[in-house]
Amino acid sequence: MRTMALAGFAAVALSTAAQAAPPERVQVTGEIIDSWCYLTEIMYPEGSAHHQCAIWCAAGGIPVGIKGDDGKVYMVLKLGADSTSVANPGILEIQSHKVKVEADLYVRDGINYLTIAQVVNDEGIVNLTHDEYGIQPFGE
Amino acid sequence: MRNLIGVAALAFAFLSPAAQAAESWGLPGEEIVRFEAKVVDVLCELSGDCPANCGGGKRQLGLVNDEGRLILPLKNQVPFAGAAYELIDFCAKRVVADGLMVTNRGYTFMTLQFVRAAPEGPWKRANRFTAKWAERNNVAADSDAAKQWFYNDPRVKDLVARQGKLGLGTAADKEFLGE
Repeated sequence: MRTMALAGFAAVALSTAAQAAPPERVQVTGEIIDSWCYLTEIMYPEGSAHHQCAIWCAAGGIPVGIKGDDGKVYMVLKLGADSTSVANPGILEIQSHKVKVEADLYVRDGINYLTIAQVVNDEGIVNLTHDEYGIQPFGE
Repeated sequence: MRNLIGVAALAFAFLSPAAQAAESWGLPGEEIVRFEAKVVDVLCELSGDCPANCGGGKRQLGLVNDEGRLILPLKNQVPFAGAAYELIDFCAKRVVADGLMVTNRGYTFMTLQFVRAAPEGPWKRANRFTAKWAERNNVAADSDAAKQWFYNDPRVKDLVARQGKLGLGTAADKEFLGE
């Protein structure tokens, strides 16, 4: 019985450790994006052409991401002290911007998650895609 | 091709029939799935920052399946809306999730089409966002305003009025759109 209890304790401890691996402090530079449109490629998903749609999706609670200059996609779970990640007002304000953030990075089951400590640099929208792609997805 | 997929996916989001089983949206790398899982607050799961009731709808919610894998649902059945609104009532509970698992651009994520309390609760279509939005904005859930919530959301209208549709200011919109 004691062996079973020890095994159970070890399993719980291992499970907790696996789920609570410490984050890595990183700096990420990239464009704030709507994760759904970008990852599904259902439309052109970047820059000024997609800005209005990206606002719709962020306001609708779809996870906002950062498309890093390193080619990775990061899901944003927190901005500063605000742990709102469903329609976060601060993130809505900087949707489609090119930013550099300092953040804690958690990687779980193939997805990169960020809790952003601060936005180090905000260049605004610099990815001017509307001349080529119009306004996504409805053209207006 | 990409545009065709986009139009098809949007059409499904608007017009998907009332069957209580996931349907293809024609997305690249999609697979129809149904599985049991526990609903979790993703930030809590990762960092140990765990407010009551999974953050009360303000946080992204995930699904931890029986293999311990954390699955992130990005989307529900409402145009331009996410899945947290559909899962918050099941915080920390087990559900049956029905939808599409999509693997594309090197990432795997889910779109939630139906959900129910495990194992045999009544199915709920993952479109309750609309009713919740309508209630917050004092319109009928079946009104055109609610169906096209993205044109009528006060936060969106305020942002677009200030930033423009392109995000470059209203003058840039006028020049581009000829308005």
